[in-house]
Amino acid sequence: MSLAIRLIRMLAVIVALLAAPAVAFAQTAEEAFARFNADSFSDTARAVDILVQSAHPNAGVIIEALADGRLLAGGGAVGAKTKDGGFLDARTGQALSAEPGGVSAVRLNNNVRRAIQAALGSLGLINPDPAKRVAAAEAVFRARDVSALPVLEAAIANESNDRARRALREAQAAILIVKTDAPPFDRIAAVDVLRERGDQDALATLRALPGDASPALKEVQARAISEIEGKLALWQAGQNLWYGLSLGSVLLLAAIGLAITFGVMGVINMAHGEMVMLGAYTTFVVQELIRTNAPYLFDWSLAFALPAAFIVAGAVGIAIERGVIRFLYGRPLETLLATWGISLILQQAVRTAFGPTNREVGAPSFMSGAFELGGLAITWNRLWIIVFAALVFVALLAILKLTPMGLQMRAVTQNRRMAAAMGIRTGRIDALTFGLGSGVAGLAGVALSQIDNVSPNLGQSYIIDSFMVVVFGGVGNLWGTLISAMTLGVANKLLEPYAGAVLGKIALLVFIILFIQKRPRGLFALKGRAVEA
Amino acid sequence: MNAPVPGALTSSLLYLDGVSVSFDGFKAIRGLSLTIAPGEMRAIIGPNGAGKTTMMDIITGKTRPDEGTVMFGGSVDLTRLDEAAIANLGIGRKFQKPTVFDFHTIEDNILLALKSQRTVLKTLFWQTASAQQKRIDDILGIVKLADKRERLAGSLSHGQKQWLEIGMLLAQDPKLLLVDEPAAGMTDGETAQTAVLLKEIARDHSVIVVEHDMGFIRELGVKVTVLHEGSVLAEGPLDQVSANERVVEVYLGR
Amino acid sequence: MISRFLLSNMDRRGYVFLALVAAIGLLVPLANLLVPAGSPFHVSTATMSLWGKYLCYALLALSLDLVWGYCGILSLGHGAFFALGGYAMGMYLMRQIGSRGVYGNPVLPDFMVFLNWQELPWYWWGFSSFPFAMLMVLAVPGLLAFVFGWFAFRSRVTGVYLSIITQALTYALLLAFFRNDMGFGGNNGLTDFKDILGFSVQAQTTRAALFAMTCVMLASGFLIARGIVSSKLGKVVIAIRDAESRTRFLGYRVDRFKLFVFTVSACMAGVAGALYVPQVGIINPGEFAPANSIETVIWVAVGGRGTLVGAALGAVVVNWAKTMFTSGFMAPYWLFALGVLFVFVTLFMPKGILGTAQGWWEKRRKPAALPAAEPAPAE
Repeated sequence: MSLAIRLIRMLAVIVALLAAPAVAFAQTAEEAFARFNADSFSDTARAVDILVQSAHPNAGVIIEALADGRLLAGGGAVGAKTKDGGFLDARTGQALSAEPGGVSAVRLNNNVRRAIQAALGSLGLINPDPAKRVAAAEAVFRARDVSALPVLEAAIANESNDRARRALREAQAAILIVKTDAPPFDRIAAVDVLRERGDQDALATLRALPGDASPALKEVQARAISEIEGKLALWQAGQNLWYGLSLGSVLLLAAIGLAITFGVMGVINMAHGEMVMLGAYTTFVVQELIRTNAPYLFDWSLAFALPAAFIVAGAVGIAIERGVIRFLYGRPLETLLATWGISLILQQAVRTAFGPTNREVGAPSFMSGAFELGGLAITWNRLWIIVFAALVFVALLAILKLTPMGLQMRAVTQNRRMAAAMGIRTGRIDALTFGLGSGVAGLAGVALSQIDNVSPNLGQSYIIDSFMVVVFGGVGNLWGTLISAMTLGVANKLLEPYAGAVLGKIALLVFIILFIQKRPRGLFALKGRAVEA
Repeated sequence: MNAPVPGALTSSLLYLDGVSVSFDGFKAIRGLSLTIAPGEMRAIIGPNGAGKTTMMDIITGKTRPDEGTVMFGGSVDLTRLDEAAIANLGIGRKFQKPTVFDFHTIEDNILLALKSQRTVLKTLFWQTASAQQKRIDDILGIVKLADKRERLAGSLSHGQKQWLEIGMLLAQDPKLLLVDEPAAGMTDGETAQTAVLLKEIARDHSVIVVEHDMGFIRELGVKVTVLHEGSVLAEGPLDQVSANERVVEVYLGR
Repeated sequence: MISRFLLSNMDRRGYVFLALVAAIGLLVPLANLLVPAGSPFHVSTATMSLWGKYLCYALLALSLDLVWGYCGILSLGHGAFFALGGYAMGMYLMRQIGSRGVYGNPVLPDFMVFLNWQELPWYWWGFSSFPFAMLMVLAVPGLLAFVFGWFAFRSRVTGVYLSIITQALTYALLLAFFRNDMGFGGNNGLTDFKDILGFSVQAQTTRAALFAMTCVMLASGFLIARGIVSSKLGKVVIAIRDAESRTRFLGYRVDRFKLFVFTVSACMAGVAGALYVPQVGIINPGEFAPANSIETVIWVAVGGRGTLVGAALGAVVVNWAKTMFTSGFMAPYWLFALGVLFVFVTLFMPKGILGTAQGWWEKRRKPAALPAAEPAPAE
């Protein structure tokens, strides 16, 4: 917008405000000063209203002083004590050398305070800062105070900022909705403004339309309401989808290590959840070290925790594989029991070392807070976890498909004896595969420490879900795990609004139980003679 | 190529026509047609991957064919039944790898196979009648395991397990026996004895024998079907089949 | 026919076990009721109830051994059947409270009054009748096992997959029973029982009778399980465990046999739960926790799977050890001990106490008769 146009507008406003009704304003302001002297609560409240409507240049200062109990009145004079202890004349704004004689502080009650609040809101509408004007408009929007209308209209005419103008128009519309004596055409236009705004507040405002409105207005209102509701439902579905993806990525993180140990090696690792827990506790320890030794690195704590968690969980995993599991290959049910025992030992070990209560893991600054995307509220930590899950998934795919280790792993999975005959050290590959699966669980622990309580029971809460994900997706298939995790996550969150969190989860468990009956090997199962053998 | 003659369905015990099955795109059986007459003994040979075991899986209900007809006794559609129902119709199977119940005694293995009603309640309140006990004793005698009857089947040698499985087949008294490589892992003496045993069984049962061992098949002296890549390559007496150029080609890989 | 079914093939170990259970069932209540408190032979009511609890666990372990040891079905959800039986008993006991509850409502249990419920939900009807409640103790776990097994076994879900979905089953029930609007007392479960069959549950004589009843049920459970596994059906079931597909090719409908054993086992677990509740005085959703079911598995493994007697023995030994551990200064280390037990038993004593002892015994008696090659169980 060019400076010229802005100047012309400003001139127009000044002319509008001052030229014709200037005397009237002066008079009404004078009435306000008189009422301040009346020493009655109702007069004081009225005075506040009048002062705001008069657009007296000192209105802001006066009302602020009144709110703080610094407004002095007596004998027709009105003065204010400044914050730094000086005095000034309320009418002219000129500083006084000493406190005027015969004045006392104007008293407040709740009624007056309410008037002050409304007035401060209205006064904000002409604040030089556009953001403040928007905030003030929002306040008026919520209050729907009819008395603010004249100021609002003046401010709209005055407004040059698009965003602020829209906020002001919405505030105006909100008032018009409840102002039964406003011109019908204006009120219908107001409905339209609110329909465009289209959020929960607009909906509430539209619903506040008094019952005696004209049929035409009511019809427009009903249409606007249904349109907004439709739009909001869509956003809500989008929001649920987002929550679902977020839960799905958490499930993916928790399950993907299991997809390797169970899916690729066929080992039932009931201690998998404890690998996740170890990852989370590693994060805690790393953060403690950083807090005490190098607090300025705190935002980088997760970057240090990731490799540490991978190594800790991976090493524990390798130890378990070498120490226990390798003696139990081909006996999956025994493996299940032994690893359950290990999970008990690990839980108790962590409980002994760190105590049974939750440990505080902090969030680095880039993971705190949230932002809005259209009608979606998106928290940074969830967003980063989705990104992280995707990265882990891609990295694992790459390891399995592209590296020599991945090739050997797949070879051992498909035909152990043949692989051994080809010179692959199957024992070493077993250990490394198990270490990889456990290490990935450790990585998951770092991520989960950001959204869940870090306690010795952390792993227990994920183990059943993780197994469900792997079994549902089909064993030995990482893509199956991905699709399964996302499906279960989204289904869970979409069910929640209808069935509640617990029932939704039960429904999913029952669904998976039934699904396994239908397809015992999961969504993406291998077929053929080899599987039967 | 091997279209069954008209009327073969009703006169045959087992009738396969145009059977195909594939695993993940690999066609293990393609357009297989085969007819076994009542009382007939048939040998089936073929190189590895010819579809011999898959064919047995289809007949016994372990694998469902993608297309084709599998009829038993002229009227029963085997593709609609599961393994247990097919076994109860009178089709017994001996596996390539001897599969006996390791933790049961040899006698109990035979008892489990013994022809009887297989319902839950009948087995729960089962009493072995003297006629049944005699049948068990007879079979133990036939397969030469009578003196080891109290031993756990898991402790038997490979050859003995093969015989125990044949004994279990006998106890089932099926109309049709599917015998997968009965001579595998046996000494020459045992192989000869097995051939004699099978011939004896074939006197009052239909038998399909899958075997690699040509000597064994020669000893059986029955009609031979050659499978190759999931369908029938040749059929006839062994001498005629082994003179067939395409069979030679398949076996020698020319 | 029934007695022959129950007693034929009973071996010496079985008779020893029955005699032992009978002796305990007779002597412990007597030592509690008749022997004066000062005497060294006196058994306190608390001790008796504690051992009553162990014996309930023994029955639960027995039921699990029936499916796991003999049929190869590793159920990680047997605690669910135990808990359902317990809830059925608990519901009867709740209805017996009558108007003696805190709120004095003659029909509604306290927690329903607290939740402002106006009338008794339909699934609570009939539970004021003892015979009906006892029927439910058998029917509810039995029916759940039947429906679950019907689906699972028909579609040939086996091995680890079956274990995992049984775990999912008990987990789903855990979540469900935690909900207040399920009508089973939510988190707190059912407690504050007063009477059973008109006798105060707190009374010493009632406690003694409950203990004796537990022994009777344990013995009956053993007889039934023993009868099943030594019948031809038992042989079929073992055959299914070792070579499921082979059994099918012999013409046995594997799914029906599994279903039979699974359902019978669930009913036994339900009875165990029903006896457990009045002796412990509470039933809450915690009994559905997957960890409980897995612990049951370890009792069986410790005692020796596939031996019945061993399973019962394992349950008592492990739980006794747990009490010893958790009541002393070693309390924080119980989970270590339990975890080590899991690992140790699976690695070094796959046959459990009884199986290992039996192996030694046979080796010493007739070393020549041992099978040449030890057959490995198929999973």
